[in-house]
Amino acid sequence: MLVTLVLWLNTISNSIAQILLAPVAWLPGWLSASLIASVTGIVMLFVFKQTSNQSALKRTRNQIKANLIALSLFKEELRVCLRVQLTLLAQAGRLLALSAVPILVMAVPMCLSLAQLSLWYQARPLACGEQAIVTVHLKPTNNEVLPEIELTPTSAVDVTMGPVRVPASNMICWKIEAISRGLHDLTFEWGEQIFTKELAISNSFLPVSRERPSSNPSSMLKYPRERPFAADSPVQSIQIEYPDRVSWTSGTKSWMAYWFFTSLIAAFVARPLLKVDF
Amino acid sequence: MNSGRKPKISRRKILSGAAASAGALATACWLGGCNRASRSLGKKVIVIGIDGMDPRLCRSMMLAGMLPNLAKLASAGSFSNLATSMPPQSPVAWASFINGAGPGSHGIFDFIHRHPHQQCAPFFSAAETLPGEGSIEVGDHRLQFNFPPFSHTLPKTVLRRQGIPFWDELDAKGIPSTFYDLPSNYPPSPSHYGHHRCISGMGTPDVLGTYGTYQYFSDDSPSKGLEEGGGRRSKLRFIRDSAKTKIVGPDNAMLKTPTPTTIEMSVHRDRRSDAALLIVGDHKIMLRAGEWSGWTRLDFKMSTPPPLPSQSASGICRFYLQEVAPNFRLYMTPINIDPSKPAVQLSEPKNFITDISNALGLFYTTGFQEDHKARSNGIFNDDEFRQQATMVLEERLTLFEYALKNYEDGLLFFYFSSSDLQSHMFWWNSDEDALHPTRTTPEAASRFQYVKDLYQKLDGIIGDLDQRYGSKATLFVMSDHGFANFGRQFNVNSWLRDSGYLNPRETTSVLTDVDWSRTRAYGMGINALYLNLKGRERDGIVEPDDTAEKLTKQLIAQLEAVRDINGQQVIRKVYRSSEIYSGPAMEFAPDLIIGYSRGYRASWETCLGELTPEVLLDNPSPWSADHCADALEVPGVLFSNKSIRSPQPSLTDLAPSILDEFGLPTPKTMTGKSIFQS
Repeated sequence: MLVTLVLWLNTISNSIAQILLAPVAWLPGWLSASLIASVTGIVMLFVFKQTSNQSALKRTRNQIKANLIALSLFKEELRVCLRVQLTLLAQAGRLLALSAVPILVMAVPMCLSLAQLSLWYQARPLACGEQAIVTVHLKPTNNEVLPEIELTPTSAVDVTMGPVRVPASNMICWKIEAISRGLHDLTFEWGEQIFTKELAISNSFLPVSRERPSSNPSSMLKYPRERPFAADSPVQSIQIEYPDRVSWTSGTKSWMAYWFFTSLIAAFVARPLLKVDF
Repeated sequence: MNSGRKPKISRRKILSGAAASAGALATACWLGGCNRASRSLGKKVIVIGIDGMDPRLCRSMMLAGMLPNLAKLASAGSFSNLATSMPPQSPVAWASFINGAGPGSHGIFDFIHRHPHQQCAPFFSAAETLPGEGSIEVGDHRLQFNFPPFSHTLPKTVLRRQGIPFWDELDAKGIPSTFYDLPSNYPPSPSHYGHHRCISGMGTPDVLGTYGTYQYFSDDSPSKGLEEGGGRRSKLRFIRDSAKTKIVGPDNAMLKTPTPTTIEMSVHRDRRSDAALLIVGDHKIMLRAGEWSGWTRLDFKMSTPPPLPSQSASGICRFYLQEVAPNFRLYMTPINIDPSKPAVQLSEPKNFITDISNALGLFYTTGFQEDHKARSNGIFNDDEFRQQATMVLEERLTLFEYALKNYEDGLLFFYFSSSDLQSHMFWWNSDEDALHPTRTTPEAASRFQYVKDLYQKLDGIIGDLDQRYGSKATLFVMSDHGFANFGRQFNVNSWLRDSGYLNPRETTSVLTDVDWSRTRAYGMGINALYLNLKGRERDGIVEPDDTAEKLTKQLIAQLEAVRDINGQQVIRKVYRSSEIYSGPAMEFAPDLIIGYSRGYRASWETCLGELTPEVLLDNPSPWSADHCADALEVPGVLFSNKSIRSPQPSLTDLAPSILDEFGLPTPKTMTGKSIFQS
């Protein structure tokens, strides 16, 4: 049930992202990351306004201000101070409760959006001539010997080494070398069965699916681009070790922090214009 | 009268004020720029330091037409022997090059010095790590904070080379100087005026703080592992062709009892594919037998007491899968300091090396890059060592291209280590000694050919450089020393024991079981001999008067009289430091310096004061050539595209010559003279 739901959500988010995030492919990384973060910040602010009780939020904030003034005026009166502090605590809790609805409303779209953004910024595609390791994770069996899965070289990708079979971890690895640019399919054959995995080769931006996941909801949310393997499939997941993208704004290690701060700044800037209380 | 009125500012005043401000700003910028700009007036001097390049071999190869570019340089400019330092050891020689003066000026007399007040406790001569002061203890941890209110002193490594390096003169005059991999300069000495840049070379440690410790993983290593000079072996136990092991990193110095940090590594082999998969942390590396990996970053986590954030020490290494089956053998390079984010200062200024790493990627940063220890300990065979050394050279050549691309004017120094370490392993001149102690004659000849091949490769590099800069720059191609066979080894402490100077007869090491009350002299390091002098050594017994002088004379006469079983003279000459050294840095100078004849060197055990039953032994090590002989036996080379006037140029003459090329006088601290002036 949950797997099907995540599958649907991924299908929808993939379709939307295919249109909305298309400019990332040709914009400079810093610009696309900044634009996306700014727009997301403003949209989140707007959603917050629409889904929250603005008057209650405003009232609570005013009450907090009043209690802070009371605290400074009656700081000599221990009993009053304690009572005001308790009230402040309650009002802070109320503020949090009032924010709960918009946070809940935004949680799922935000997770889906971040998963979509990670396809662009978490890793970079292979450059032509560059090598990477591909790992096929198999369903555990009682067999000592791993199945004879074959990875066939194509005009887009060469298989330079492997397979290295790791029976102890139920996995098989190959080393591949990128030949021509574009989004390609790696094809793994085991007897009659065929398993595929998308491979991105480019010197610029392309969506990079680092893993074709198993039918596990959290893996599916994390790697939304490709359809997961069925629970009874002998192949459970296929990973490609893509290189890190190096950039302060759109690089592997920093894109999420950059997105968070830029969206926060955009939200603060837009706050007086949209007249939002939070 | 005008009070109360707003001051009236005309548009013209605003415009003229703005123009004046802009002018002042531009002038200030221009002046600032001038201060930073090169004052070498376009003058270019390029020095290529080829460690260990030998003049005899150069001459014979030039005569045979095998070094056409060096021959061309020699005929158009000059070629000469370059007198080296005594002893002709690299740290001593390069420090002499740096100061333009001998060991008395820089205080480096051997690879290893001894501390007289601790009765011959040895230490590395070029750099020393000073312990910190003050700490607070939290649980198992001992922490040091260098800010108030704690103000602890953190441990630090200091350069022990004394005196004034010649680039300080250039720096002061605004003449840029750039050095790549300069030996005897770790940690790098500071630039006072910002015109000097340098990457430290020989003497730079690895992440473990050693001069290079490889790690070797195999299923035939001793079950408890093995620590050996320059390396560590770990046993792999395969279950279904998978094994787990640990890469050993630096000690966590924040613990009261520092213990090594580690990173888990799992190893999976596939015999059918003759390949293996290594998983280091989250990173996968796949290699087939005989293949090297690229550089891999390692991040060693260091525990800290809560709530302090955990710390880490990072380094880089490469793996070499030697064999998959029947024996699994995996070599890992010493963990080099990461040049892209160095944990300690490797260059002056600090960002010089990170800028290079941003342009070129990761590269070796340890001082000794060719892993001679792996060859000496039998981890590598000759071909594997050569392959690794060639890889180092290729990396150096990429750096050399970068150096030339980023060179405008002033002084450029570039150092090649390959000729030294490959010669140590492959040199064997059969004209001097037909029989190699461990190799057959054809084997020895084929290995010596490797050295000749390397000389030819270096010749090509010089030829290319000459084509690009020959008419526009003064070129120096120099080496710090030459080379000689090392077939027989001499244990100076065993000789002192047999001659009655060191007691008791059962002594195995001067560091452990010598009777200082009956010992008059001892050896420590490669060429150094010390008297057990009263008042200087902690347990000294030799009176520093006529007794010392008499003993010195006796030792010199007897050492120079030592003959090998074939009657050959073992020691060419024994020098008194008081006669060959002068300067303000004589604190650790030995009393006598032993100058060995060609073919001989101090025994391996001598270096750290160990004794062997025999005084003279064959050298069974793959390290079958050396230069720690008499300086007159192993001079270096000097090629230049300019004519040299000096009849016998010396290593200490190069600094004055470089200064001379930039029109600067020789400072009084230097003993050398410009080779371009008669």
